[in-house]
Amino acid sequence: MKRNKIFSLALAGAMLLPTLATLTGCGGEDVITLRVYNWEEYIDEGGEKTFIFDELHELDENGDPLLDENGDHIHIESDIVDDDYKAWYEETMGHALSEEGPRILDDFCEWYERTYGQKIQVEYSTFGTNEDMYNEIILGNEYDLLCPSDYMIMKLAAEGRLEKYDETFFDETIPENYYVRNVSPFIAEKFATNAGLEIRSDPDGGAIYWQDYAAGYMWGTTGFVYNPAALEAAGIAEDTLETLGWDVFTDSRFKSKITAKDNVRDTYFAALGVTYQDELLSLDRAADDYIPKLTAIFNATDDGTIGAVEPTLMDIKSNIYSFETDTGKSDMVNGKIWLNYAWSGDAVYALDLAESGKSEDGEDEKTAYLNYFVPEAGSNLFFDGWVMPKGANKKAAQAFVNFMSMPQNAMRNSYYIGYTSVISGEEFEMLDYADYLYGYYPEDEFEEGEEYDEPVDYDLSYFFFGENHAEDEYVSIPAEPEQAEKRQLFAQFPPEDVIARSAVMDYYDEAASIRINELWSRVKAETLEPWTIIVIVVSVVAIAAAVLLLKFGSKIDLFRLGPQKGYKKVKEERA
Amino acid sequence: MKLPRFSRKTLCIPYAVFLVFFVIIPMCVILFYAFTDRQMHFSFSNFLRFFSDPTKLSTIVYSIVIALITTVICLVIAYPVALILARSKLKKKFVILMLFVLPMWINFVLRVNALRELFNLLSQSEALSWLENANIFKTIVGMVYDFLPFMILPLYTTMLKIDTSLYEASADLGGNAFTTFFRITLPLSMPGIMSGVTMVFLPSMTNYVVSDMLGNAKVTIIGKFIYEYFGSDWHMGSMVALVLLIVVFVSTLLSGGFKSEENVRGTNL
Repeated sequence: MKRNKIFSLALAGAMLLPTLATLTGCGGEDVITLRVYNWEEYIDEGGEKTFIFDELHELDENGDPLLDENGDHIHIESDIVDDDYKAWYEETMGHALSEEGPRILDDFCEWYERTYGQKIQVEYSTFGTNEDMYNEIILGNEYDLLCPSDYMIMKLAAEGRLEKYDETFFDETIPENYYVRNVSPFIAEKFATNAGLEIRSDPDGGAIYWQDYAAGYMWGTTGFVYNPAALEAAGIAEDTLETLGWDVFTDSRFKSKITAKDNVRDTYFAALGVTYQDELLSLDRAADDYIPKLTAIFNATDDGTIGAVEPTLMDIKSNIYSFETDTGKSDMVNGKIWLNYAWSGDAVYALDLAESGKSEDGEDEKTAYLNYFVPEAGSNLFFDGWVMPKGANKKAAQAFVNFMSMPQNAMRNSYYIGYTSVISGEEFEMLDYADYLYGYYPEDEFEEGEEYDEPVDYDLSYFFFGENHAEDEYVSIPAEPEQAEKRQLFAQFPPEDVIARSAVMDYYDEAASIRINELWSRVKAETLEPWTIIVIVVSVVAIAAAVLLLKFGSKIDLFRLGPQKGYKKVKEERA
Repeated sequence: MKLPRFSRKTLCIPYAVFLVFFVIIPMCVILFYAFTDRQMHFSFSNFLRFFSDPTKLSTIVYSIVIALITTVICLVIAYPVALILARSKLKKKFVILMLFVLPMWINFVLRVNALRELFNLLSQSEALSWLENANIFKTIVGMVYDFLPFMILPLYTTMLKIDTSLYEASADLGGNAFTTFFRITLPLSMPGIMSGVTMVFLPSMTNYVVSDMLGNAKVTIIGKFIYEYFGSDWHMGSMVALVLLIVVFVSTLLSGGFKSEENVRGTNL
């Protein structure tokens, strides 16, 4: 979601306006319009590299389609986009599935018309950061559906800018309510308890919970992508990372080999982790108030905390290679850095990319195997969710959320963007999807007599039954041990113990926001000594004086002070 | 019905409209935001916060210094090039000029990205590994690379216009190369220097794409500052923008950009 930011940065720098890539789906006469404002590259956009296309075509090892002798794509059968899937598609959209990968927005329009008898078109635009989106909203741009992250949802809700979802949206007996029937119980619980946080400054006085305002879309954790081969070459044992946890940011062995995020939210969070690691580790995990305590530490913005975090941030700045939003993945792949603080979806992308032996631009690189770890002391659990700003077309917006929540569609989106959908599926369809992506059946892959790792049971019960599931409510997929411990599977479907130690970000109120921004500007910018400022200002003035002197140099005449002997100076006449 | 008479003034209307919508109104909005607080009440608090915060003052000074260094390096490189090109009798000097100007035709983000990769490659060798953390150095190289054509072109066009008979006159009157340069070339190329300096100095104070990509986002110049404030606090962001505007105004004043002198005409690209 946070990819390709540098290009929007460049554009924003050019015109101080956010980029609005407006795509319009379907259309016609007498239609209603649904205005959706989503992250860049955060929905299935059709064509190659989509779930449906990739499943139905033969691909080479880089994921590009192979061609037959006539230059056509080679069609194959798929285990997951099978006859059932095609039948479902035909029934839902009213026409056969196109093997070339349809756009999900077009599919929505067709489904909406079939279901509600009303033509609809989608005006789809994208943003690069939560803050850009927020600016658009307060400038008065009107949308029906937005997809901000957790803390921004809270901010918007607390400021009274959002519509509540209808009560009927949560009625499981209505057939079109795909969201409520398919959402993971774990996500639903997190939303209902709001991860222990309440939105504090409710305009009406009561506590407001984000489940009333938001329906989930994608979720994940933050952690570190690391390069085990590079660590080994430097003589650092892999388990050192586990021991160090957040301290990798300040450990001198990783000097210039680690990156932080170039935004205050994520880097402040990480600095809190570094500063309070011991305290976080000493919390009693079995206690009822563990999550509230953890969340409170990771969301502290009082002056004392800021004072304690500031030196840590300075240490981080001097130890890291760069603050980045976008370049970390490619620097990781080409071996420039060893550790990259990353969102789990980006981590999966980086791991896949390194494994394919290609750079982001498709150039050949050495194949590298990267891993992902989440500090033992706790980390960040984030959600991106659909919310409706005031004045939205609620009926169409909620239908859109429901459509995206059909497990078959959740797979498509999740496959395209690499993040994990909040959908688990009534029939556990997303378990099939996880199994299709990561299921490990060595007896099918290896010849008899060959050695291989025994698969391990990767427990995903919490996601399908909720965190407090009963003993007999158990689902798992067979996984390669490495995948389960530290690779894509671990990043995309984190195990329960990682979730159990993750905190959701709160939003900063106005005063906190000012304090944090001042802190960030002190960290990012150089603060010079007063005398340095004075010296520089004086020299700048001196240079300015010199410029003036040069400009009128011909009048002052620096190089010939007087007329030569025998000559008289006559009054100059200038044209 | 009488049609309004078409005069040359009518031709100004598009520009006037442009001026109102893209210059005057935005300026007023900046001014408004800079002197209001979040409740939209008139307030000097942003002003006071700006001038009492050493970080913000430092950033302004820091940006000026980076921009100055960039400008000086550009001038030192560009002046001899422009001089040689303007004086040479080469028939194909157009080609040489193009070599300097061509990079401007390629997308600038792309070029900076390429430079970043080049530095990465260089810093892999033992001898140049210091490059890895030389963020300010890399930023300045990037700025110079980016803005050099903006220095060469005005200098070149100004020098082309210097009447060669002046050089002959200087030679006839016994002037040596040194005198000729300081008495003729330098004073007459001054408008070109001024316009080149303006075109390099001002953008290099704010071009944070270069400092982000080549300085690993560890070099913060004033443009980045404004961008970051506009993510959360428009009022402070506007105040920083306003201060920058004043710095720009003063430096333009110094370089004579507001004078309607004849010899300035045609040298600004």
